[in-house]
Amino acid sequence: MSTETQLLVTPEPTRRRRPRRRKRLTVGQVVVMVVLAVLVLIIASPVLYALLNSFRSYGEITVDPMGLPTTFTLDNYVQLFQETDYGEALVNTLIITLSTVVLLIAIVPMAAYGIERVGGRTSRFVYILFIAGLMIPFQVRMIPLVKGFDEVGLYSTLTSVILVHLGGAASFGILLYCSFLKGIPIEVEEAASIDGAGRLRTFWSIVFPMLLPVTSAFVIIQALGLWNDFFIPLVFLDSSSAGTINVAINRMVGLLTSQWQLIYTGAILAIVPSVAIFAAFQRYFIKGMSVGAVKG
Amino acid sequence: MTDQSALQGQTAVVGAAVRLTGEGPLDGAPEGAADDVSFVPAGPPIQQRRTRRFRSTRWVMLGFIAPALVVYLLMVIVPSLQSLQLSFTNWDGISPDYDYVGVANYDEILTSGRFWNAVKNTLILGLGSAVIINAISLGVALMLDHVGRWQGLFRTAVYLPSLVSAFILATIWKYLLNYNFGAVNVFLRDIGLPDWARDWLGDSSIVVWVILFITCFTLGGNTTLIYLANLQSVPQDLVEAARIDGANSRQVFRHVTWPMLAGAVTVNMTLAMIAGWTIFDQVMVLTSGGPGFVSETMAFFIYKVGFGEYRAGFGSAAAIVLFLVVIVSTVAANAYMRKREIQA
Repeated sequence: MSTETQLLVTPEPTRRRRPRRRKRLTVGQVVVMVVLAVLVLIIASPVLYALLNSFRSYGEITVDPMGLPTTFTLDNYVQLFQETDYGEALVNTLIITLSTVVLLIAIVPMAAYGIERVGGRTSRFVYILFIAGLMIPFQVRMIPLVKGFDEVGLYSTLTSVILVHLGGAASFGILLYCSFLKGIPIEVEEAASIDGAGRLRTFWSIVFPMLLPVTSAFVIIQALGLWNDFFIPLVFLDSSSAGTINVAINRMVGLLTSQWQLIYTGAILAIVPSVAIFAAFQRYFIKGMSVGAVKG
Repeated sequence: MTDQSALQGQTAVVGAAVRLTGEGPLDGAPEGAADDVSFVPAGPPIQQRRTRRFRSTRWVMLGFIAPALVVYLLMVIVPSLQSLQLSFTNWDGISPDYDYVGVANYDEILTSGRFWNAVKNTLILGLGSAVIINAISLGVALMLDHVGRWQGLFRTAVYLPSLVSAFILATIWKYLLNYNFGAVNVFLRDIGLPDWARDWLGDSSIVVWVILFITCFTLGGNTTLIYLANLQSVPQDLVEAARIDGANSRQVFRHVTWPMLAGAVTVNMTLAMIAGWTIFDQVMVLTSGGPGFVSETMAFFIYKVGFGEYRAGFGSAAAIVLFLVVIVSTVAANAYMRKREIQA
């Protein structure tokens, strides 16, 4: 965990360029820092506990649950890949996350652009239709989707999971991109059009690059959500598939009742990519969260 | 990570619904009209012609919308309507045919103690965690705002735990709470409180509260960030003016900062509530709805009935009820909180 933490302590976007005078910390500020640090430690304690125990054997864990690892060994990590479907599940999760994000970026910004630039009643209707999806919980469409995928022979394939995710994420994407597109002047596109660029080319070479800030926020939110999702793969992937990591871990909980160390190991490995995504895109992340969140 | 903090993408997705009642991108004058007025009349004839050619590609633009729209219709709108249709049938989820039974499913739901228990649990878990997580997040954001040095470092540290998914966290907790070898009970026995050790997830009188605790046991990372962004956008001259007038810190918060945060509270509470209505992962992992049906939530009830008990028609009816609850509560909560915002 410590190495990861160091990675994340990169300069903040808001840090001032000029070296600022070091003001003395007041007592109040020190107290606040201590309280925050303690709070973070408490919140992180289950994960830290799992991390420590991923280096211990089942015997050690049950004999002394509060003990610390005595030796540093990656046996559990090796065993996890050798004796369970975890490796395959990891690949599945990767495929689902990457394909869904790529497909979303291929269709959603374009659709939002169409909605914004066509204008008029048709596009307002389409916009509202998309936004209505935000209020439809997944549980509402779950049963008919299973039925439908079963009928066309796609049940328990990664394709079904990807398609379900695409539909679910489209509403949020349209909302995000439409509000962002409002701020982009149409004149630039018209100039491109006068220079002979077609609509499609105008979009991908002129408009899409301008959407980068919102795209990065969208990609990060979706990638994390897809990686962490449990319900959708649980419903659409049966035992004929290795499932995603979360589904695989859930099956292990049921099957390997005396292999706690593997569960802890799997849980830790599932967290690593999320932290990596966050570390890589931290600046966009916090910016993206703040964009549009501030009222007025 | 709980579900609350946008619970990850899913939540974030749902979250945006908040702005439904606000101004949408297409509110006001139609885009095209405004552009024509400002652009075309001013230009020379040749430019006018080109602009028209530019606009005549309306069908191309509709083609831009088509792929996303088709996926969305097939994956969201059509299945939702099918769900409505199935809710009037006795379909078991497997056999090819089924009969229409009118509103029998709805009748059964509304008189079923099991369903109302699930509603009660959903209220405790969804609303309870929404309130608690928002309170903690606001407190943390206030502290972050006052931390002075190393704010970025602390902000990152506070956000990190929320990268862990609800599923993973619940799984770890399931083992921490194991009766014999779980760290919690062992710790309690070690410090001389063996009476406090108990079967946390098997005791029907406390199990829902244990799940609530675990659901809240995270900082709402996104929630905190939204509060922090809003706190930092509070104009400093307002705060200074209040201070010059002799207000103490508490009064400044009550009369200056808090009213300025009203919008953020609306957004965060609505987000957390929508996520709370569909709380599932924690229940599935920790108790599978047990002991008995004690800890079921509405989302879990739909899953269990639809797939586990082969009553897809009945499950669909429950899903439609959930849908209505989400719509009504979101709209009502938004209306109430917006009203409060204006008064503040």
